[in-house]
Amino acid sequence: MKQPLEKNWDWEISSETSNWSWDLKSLLSYRHLLASLVRKEFLLNYQQTVLGPGWILVQPLLTLVTYVLVFGMLIRIPTGEGVPPVLFYLSGIVLWNFFNESFGTTSRTFREYIHIFTKVYFPRIIIPLATISTQFMRFLVQLILLVLILLYYIIFRGYVIHWHWALAGVPLAVAGVGLISLGMGLIFSVLTAKYRDIVNIVDVGIRLLFFVTPVVYPLALVREELRWIVKLNPLTPFFELFRLGVLGQGTVQTADLVYSFSFMLVTFLVSVYMFNKQGSKLIDVV
Amino acid sequence: MQDTVISIENISKQYRLGTIGTGSLRQDLQVFWKKNILRQDPDFFKGLHAADYIWALDDVSFDVKQGEAVGIIGANGSGKSTLLKIISRIVQPTSGKVKGRGKISSILEVGTGFHYELSGRENIYMSGYTLGMQKQEIQKKFDEIVAFSGIEKFLDTPVKRYSSGMYVRLAFAVAAHLEPDILIVDEVLAVGDADFQKKCMGKMQASSAADGRTILFVSHNLQAVENLCNRAIWLNKGKIADIGNTGAVVRSYLASTKTDLTGSHWEDPDTAPGNEWVRMKRITARAGGNEPFITVKTPVIIEAELYSYVNDGDLNVNIELLSPSGESIFNIGCHSIKAEKAILALQVTIPADLLNNTSYGISLTVVKNYSQALHEFYNCLSFEVEDVREGMYYYGVWPGLIRPSIDALFYVKESF
Repeated sequence: MKQPLEKNWDWEISSETSNWSWDLKSLLSYRHLLASLVRKEFLLNYQQTVLGPGWILVQPLLTLVTYVLVFGMLIRIPTGEGVPPVLFYLSGIVLWNFFNESFGTTSRTFREYIHIFTKVYFPRIIIPLATISTQFMRFLVQLILLVLILLYYIIFRGYVIHWHWALAGVPLAVAGVGLISLGMGLIFSVLTAKYRDIVNIVDVGIRLLFFVTPVVYPLALVREELRWIVKLNPLTPFFELFRLGVLGQGTVQTADLVYSFSFMLVTFLVSVYMFNKQGSKLIDVV
Repeated sequence: MQDTVISIENISKQYRLGTIGTGSLRQDLQVFWKKNILRQDPDFFKGLHAADYIWALDDVSFDVKQGEAVGIIGANGSGKSTLLKIISRIVQPTSGKVKGRGKISSILEVGTGFHYELSGRENIYMSGYTLGMQKQEIQKKFDEIVAFSGIEKFLDTPVKRYSSGMYVRLAFAVAAHLEPDILIVDEVLAVGDADFQKKCMGKMQASSAADGRTILFVSHNLQAVENLCNRAIWLNKGKIADIGNTGAVVRSYLASTKTDLTGSHWEDPDTAPGNEWVRMKRITARAGGNEPFITVKTPVIIEAELYSYVNDGDLNVNIELLSPSGESIFNIGCHSIKAEKAILALQVTIPADLLNNTSYGISLTVVKNYSQALHEFYNCLSFEVEDVREGMYYYGVWPGLIRPSIDALFYVKESF
């Protein structure tokens, strides 16, 4: 009897999470939180350091020097014909950093933000989105560095670049790497929160992945019978596409790209679903 | 009639006890296998593991109307915070539903979203956004927040260099300027100095009364609950023990936590404390005037019975009231009686409006012939005095060892 007129409730909380509960409107109302999280990352990383934001550039440059010395001069891994090793390595480093940092930081979402997650509600996906945005901006700055060095080689060293249709593919390659890192990061943020052991696997996993990604070597120079291992890595076509676009050197096949984009799409959908579904349950566990 | 803005329907929350990490991957895989591949109903919740689960909330239902301030009280672990966390969407209920209308903000902690490395200014924005404020909203109230916290000079200093008092004030200032339709507050008044507490309570009270804001408030400070809330819910072991008018609920909650009698008694004289001359039989303290428990408004009746084995001379007893730290507050005597081998009874009534709300101790010293202390029963009884304050905006600890009712005159003598 005590059934009042059916009211229009604004919200409802129950034991079930709807599968895709992030409506764009509520996400949009937290855009300032996202922006200020990005701002925080930059402030925190470069506050009280001598070089300040300069570290965004110094860090890849130091890596570049190491790679040139170790892989280029010491081990002498060939980087393909015509491309100066500096440009070859730097293009790999910049894109790899983007993947590595985005994936690593995203996968730590629950561990690092649990103290806030247990105190206040906001769409949890805001945190990984802020992470990927921060990393993307760092990537853009590093990309400018790459372009500057490329220009230097073109103007002063007479480096001839064969412009290619793949230049248009560069944004696609970056988006692909970004979405795979976000997707994998989301999946592992849930897994590592639930099963601590996986933290160790993630660290080792990233290091292993580095070696089957064409960062310090071109795919073309991998032995024919072993190439499938490197090609199994969905990042490989994106790295090759990126290099083909920027430096005019790379081995890209349509089938490989289709494989990578499919992988990216599936990973992304699965990860968002998983993060959403498990996110609120994890608070009880972490 | 006002509208219902939150409707809580049969909310239950189950937690798993013990070491959650170990073996849970295997367990999860087993359950998954049974449930999805073998299509069996896993007897996971019954059987072996039943003891590892606890119901933090058990079938809780109630409605909250617009503009109401509802207090939630109960002992530690009674499910208060879990309930707030479910309504705040932080944790999911195991079963049941919460429906609501309007925007919810929750302050479950002082300084949510604060970052130690950032300046006060940055933190106002950071914390404001985290708590769900919009940019214009913060910009509009920025000066007000700064003024409220009183940290103008340190606005661009990293928060890590703040004193803890400044930190709390700034953090609370942000939270106090939230203007949601429903505000959820959990035990945040425990921090900050008395002055600031008063300011915050005033702010909350104003927002509830003037803006018709709905407030859900958890606190151990029953005074604060009584003053702020018109309705209260008493949770006991995850169930609603009582719900209704705040005063009534608070009293029934207090009555349940206090036994009406504090004290002890010894049936066997041989093991009772004392010596060859006197031993304690019984000592108790209770509230006078048929009140269920001792408050600052009730007299305190202390009763003792002693076994006396002395048959000559005069006996009297010194009664000493001790502060929580054991200092003597007062020491009174009583008239003497002729000693004989008997059970002696003593009754002392401490008048109402004398003691403060703290815990006191009693020492009894039995004296023979006005000079020889036969035995001192040091701190042989302790009792708590509960607070009662009406029409007052102060919720801090009342200072002083005692709180006598003494009238002070304060008036306008002449205008000038």
